[in-house]
Amino acid sequence: MSTPVHNTAGPLLSISDLHVTIPQRRGEVTPLRGVNLTLRQGRTLGIVGESGSGKTMTALALMGLLPANGRISRGSIEFDGVDLVSATPKQARRRRGTDLGMIFQDPMTSLNPTMQIGDQIGEGLIVHQRLGRKEARRRAIEILERVGMPRPDRIAADYPHQLSGGMRQRAMIAMALVNHPKLLIADEPTTALDVTTQRQILDLIEDIKEEYDSAAILVTHDLGVVAGRADEVAVMYAGRVVEHAPARELFENPQHQYTRALLAALPERASGSDRLYAIPGMPPSLKEEIAGCPFAPRCHRAQDDCRTGTIAFEDHGAGHRVACLHPGGEEHLGQLSVPAAAAEKQVLAAQSEAPAPETGAAEDVPASAEVVLDVDGISKNYPALGGSVIRRRIGTVSAVNDVTFSVREGETFGLVGESGCGKSTLGRVIAALEQPSEGVIHLDGTDIEGGKGRNSKAVHRSVQLMFQDSAAAMDPRMRVDEILTEPLDIQGVGTAKDRARRVEELIDDVGLAQDSLERYPHEFSGGQLQRIGLARSLALDPRVVVCDEPVSALDVSVQAQVLNQMKDIQAEHRLAYVFISHDLSVVRYMSDRIGVMYLGTMVEQGPAEEVSARPRHPYTRVLIDAVPTVEPDDERERLLVEGELPSAMDPPSGCRFRTRCPFAQEICATAPPVVEMGAEEGEHQVACHFPLPEDGTLPTRVGAAR
Amino acid sequence: MTTTPRGADETPAAENLPAGAPLPTGPGSPEPVESSQRRPRRRSSLGRQGIEMFLENRLAVLGLVLIVGLVLFSFVGPLLHRTDQVHTDLANAYVPPGERGYLLGTDGIGYDQLGRLMLGGQTSLIVGLAAGLLATAFGTLWGATAGFLGGWVDAVMMRLVDALLSIPALFLFMLIATIITPTVPMLVLTIAAFAWLNPARMIRGDSIALRSRDFIVAMRGMGGGSARAVRSHIVRNAIGTVIVNATFQIADAILYVAYLSYLGLGVPPPAANWGGMLSSGIGEIYSANWWLVYPPGILIILLVLAFNFVGDGLRDAFEVRLRKR
Amino acid sequence: MWQYVLRRSGQAFVVILLVTFITFLLLHNLPGGAARSALGLDATQAQIDAYNVQMGYDQPFLVQYAMYLGRLFSGDLGFSFQQNQPVVDLIVQRLPKTMVLSFLAAVVALLIAIPLGVVQATRRGQWPDYLVTSVALLAYATPLFFLGMLLIVLFSQTIPLLPPQAPQGFSVLDILADWPGLILPVVTLAIVTLAAYTRYVRSTMIDNLQENYIRTARAKGMSEGRVVIRHALRNSLFPVISLLGMYIPALFSGALVVEQLFNYPGMGLMFWQATQTRDFPILLATTTIVAIATVVGSLLADIAYAVADPRVRLSGGSE
Repeated sequence: MSTPVHNTAGPLLSISDLHVTIPQRRGEVTPLRGVNLTLRQGRTLGIVGESGSGKTMTALALMGLLPANGRISRGSIEFDGVDLVSATPKQARRRRGTDLGMIFQDPMTSLNPTMQIGDQIGEGLIVHQRLGRKEARRRAIEILERVGMPRPDRIAADYPHQLSGGMRQRAMIAMALVNHPKLLIADEPTTALDVTTQRQILDLIEDIKEEYDSAAILVTHDLGVVAGRADEVAVMYAGRVVEHAPARELFENPQHQYTRALLAALPERASGSDRLYAIPGMPPSLKEEIAGCPFAPRCHRAQDDCRTGTIAFEDHGAGHRVACLHPGGEEHLGQLSVPAAAAEKQVLAAQSEAPAPETGAAEDVPASAEVVLDVDGISKNYPALGGSVIRRRIGTVSAVNDVTFSVREGETFGLVGESGCGKSTLGRVIAALEQPSEGVIHLDGTDIEGGKGRNSKAVHRSVQLMFQDSAAAMDPRMRVDEILTEPLDIQGVGTAKDRARRVEELIDDVGLAQDSLERYPHEFSGGQLQRIGLARSLALDPRVVVCDEPVSALDVSVQAQVLNQMKDIQAEHRLAYVFISHDLSVVRYMSDRIGVMYLGTMVEQGPAEEVSARPRHPYTRVLIDAVPTVEPDDERERLLVEGELPSAMDPPSGCRFRTRCPFAQEICATAPPVVEMGAEEGEHQVACHFPLPEDGTLPTRVGAAR
Repeated sequence: MTTTPRGADETPAAENLPAGAPLPTGPGSPEPVESSQRRPRRRSSLGRQGIEMFLENRLAVLGLVLIVGLVLFSFVGPLLHRTDQVHTDLANAYVPPGERGYLLGTDGIGYDQLGRLMLGGQTSLIVGLAAGLLATAFGTLWGATAGFLGGWVDAVMMRLVDALLSIPALFLFMLIATIITPTVPMLVLTIAAFAWLNPARMIRGDSIALRSRDFIVAMRGMGGGSARAVRSHIVRNAIGTVIVNATFQIADAILYVAYLSYLGLGVPPPAANWGGMLSSGIGEIYSANWWLVYPPGILIILLVLAFNFVGDGLRDAFEVRLRKR
Repeated sequence: MWQYVLRRSGQAFVVILLVTFITFLLLHNLPGGAARSALGLDATQAQIDAYNVQMGYDQPFLVQYAMYLGRLFSGDLGFSFQQNQPVVDLIVQRLPKTMVLSFLAAVVALLIAIPLGVVQATRRGQWPDYLVTSVALLAYATPLFFLGMLLIVLFSQTIPLLPPQAPQGFSVLDILADWPGLILPVVTLAIVTLAAYTRYVRSTMIDNLQENYIRTARAKGMSEGRVVIRHALRNSLFPVISLLGMYIPALFSGALVVEQLFNYPGMGLMFWQATQTRDFPILLATTTIVAIATVVGSLLADIAYAVADPRVRLSGGSE
């Protein structure tokens, strides 16, 4: 990480007071309003910020790839002694793909779908180094091998859709590397990937950077990604860098109130009974002038002087620069959440905040509470279709396999796993949108019969689904009041007047103003839409809400708002949640109990703290270890896996994880593991032949630890 | 299938946009959605945005103006410019424009050309509108049924559409026109009978896409059934496609009338339509009687263009509603 | 991919069956019945009865259809009493000419539409975009016979460059040898599909130019020309292949008008002449053959698309 300084002559990159303006149909947007950054040779700079903060725009400005009409209206970018702002388009183009290499977020759409991987990589060599096709292909294969592709010669002739997500991102990295860039820019390089793959890719970027002795910029919304990887971190907000410091210093001693708030909003630092610090309000519009500190309207320490003039970007020593008039604070970060709850209330005072219970919502659910939902031995298989003239069944996809768990009143059961593990399918089966292939689901002791039986209407009333993408789950041509009335309408609840009153109540409950009812979904931000989605799922006073990745598309600060809201409402209505997410820290924070899924099977379940602190299944441990955290001192022993998820059409025999498990033995291939340890309801259960020891150490047969 | 994890790729601002894409206006919208003061009711904000979008498209406005103008010309014109379009007047055949009080001259059997253009416009507009609307209505019904029912019903219904579509329309029209005697209602029916195929295909595609959308899934999760899906979601979301398609169908129907007339299977005189006038005028193209060719030709072109401009404008206007700011 | 090709062929076969069924139904609704329309108005009742027995028209409906199919697939398309020739001979003579005309027109239309669409997409919302849109729409809105006539007046009368009549050769080669005569008919027919092709190329180009991989190509330092041609255009051309198949019926319809206008000795002209003399055997057979040619043509276009586009070629056979 901390590479020796090669070149004391000056920084490789220095950006000062950078402004970017983009004219629009009406008015103009100024996404960058004074960005200051420096980066020395061989170092890694992390740029973090939420959507709209300008982090990607900064990278694009550096590459000379601003959107059409976008222009640099002020400021300078100096790279390797050259001024990039005054460069001609041709000079800028020559620099791209040679001195500057860039890796994009979504490797599927960022690769040309109809061009062979080898050609896409070789193109940079043909154009910039004037190599012949054959030589370019040979070099492309070499570099594919370097980025860890198995059988690179064959992969070079493949098309993107034939590769997995992780392999595509490796191909992207290879593409950025062909001409040995001095600066490698990675824009959210792992956001579209699963957490175990994310780790492999981040390790690769780090290795490559060191091997090629280049500098790197890591642009991300995920503070954890930056914490372990970057030498320095810049935090952006509303088109400005508000804080810039060496990584360790930033995470141990954050100064800007925005940075502090962001860290306090992370669920990974909170325990289940804390209320998260939710930054109130929303980022400012980038269409208007902003006087003073852009964060002032949302800041709990803002004074009058924050709202006027320009806030200087001042050096606080040791390379720690901050643009804040009232930095730091006495409260320890972990405690920010307590006074913050009050501050949040103040700011939200005008916003008809729901009457939140005073304590954190997730008090322990008494063991005596009634079981609401009982999932018993559920399997879900899909026919895999194929065939030529007539489509016929050519196999079976086992999406969910023999899953059993139960949820009590007022309790949250978290379902966690990577994409393809079957958690969402399970959620749809519970919500009676799909029929289970085997097994029974009892709701308050009654068999729901997949929503098809006599009581189907009652089932659809008692179990509700909350979607990841509320924008897609709401009819774009319906107004919010129609959207919220629809469930009441379908179930024939009350008179028209009753329904109107209920809808007003609902919108109030989720903390939105009454006039929201007359708007259309596209007029809301993501966080507001999730709240409307929550309101809709509450309309029928359900017993169980199945929340499918409800905050995965949200920024950290907004995510905290929604999570708090969900907890408050749960406490108020004694709701049971089935909370589905790929994000372990969110699940841990929200849930009383957690179930971990892998390739359709539940490998481990138990109390949230217990499972996350003392995982017994190797896969759970892998999952936990792969999540990057913001603790810079986090040097625990990590369990890693290689390879990718096998196909659910022909799952491995015995234990489904055995093909990637470092501890697998012969018995794992022959016998499916039985649930061990406390067979009692609600206790820690693990389906493994060789569970990990309870003390958190790893057995000696570890294949890939470091 | 399960979800793929998504990071904070919610994109309200300039982040993560491909270069060259039109940018949304910015993050945290300026208007405080969470403000507590009541706003005046804004019942039709979508409609208003759509109209604004339409009005910003200059070609679409031009098209609308043209249509209104041509309708006035054809239906109000005869009230101001009275002519005899029933009796032939061979003494006054081929009078050039401006002479003997004939503003646009006369044709080969002495009809006043200007008055005849007005009369012909009525037929062209009526046939075009009636055939276009009929075809769209039937096609919509067919396509929506196929798309929503799916399975083998869909397969059978759509193979029939494929079969009819693979017979080139003019061949079929001509064949039918030799079997039946062309009159205006027959013409409308014949054209509509084969013009419904494209809308049917399009609407089927739309309803299949809509059927699997998350908001339909959400509705099913609340206990709603297929009837409700069609009634309160599919219709609402497909209406744009239907209306846009109707305008293009009208334009096509006007052209088909012209082709049938040209190929000798139009409505017999004394009824007139622009297509028929143009095709009989085509024979005059080598002679000096230009007024028999160009006025009907230009009017057809204007009318067809106008409907196309309006269709394009409507398409943009309907799309605006789904676009995130 | 082979699964896709097979399934698509199966569909095409079903469609051909349906087409023949439709023409069979039409045959049965001819004025005076099939026999009268084939034999003419002065045929005696005895002749008609004999004809009905010979053709199996006294059999049950489905048997009749089966026999009709049997005749069709053995190449017996009926007999034109007016021309005193088997219809199949007439069609064999004329179909290739219509196909040559349509094919040339499609090629010309593509050669014009692709560059125009690319210019529009790269200059989106600027004057070249509006200009091309307006001109293409204008061409589309002009009735084909009017447009063809204007071209004749302009290029063979006002400026006597080209012959106003199409080549009259007996074989396809004769016609191709007389290429100046082909120019006006081909250009006129090309205009039928020009607006549609241009609009399509423009919109797929716009879609492709907004894709992330275009940004990747730019980030690799590719020149703008290379980005547009090698990346965006290449990917836009794959769907254009199947677009060609979709517009075959429009081309044939256009050919009917163009052949009549330029007196080009193809199927369209023959069909038109048959409408004037009410020669029903020719009308029905031509309609059937043109429809089958359309089905086969769009099948070939779809297969070509599947072979060309690696996304389809290398997929496991799903849609």
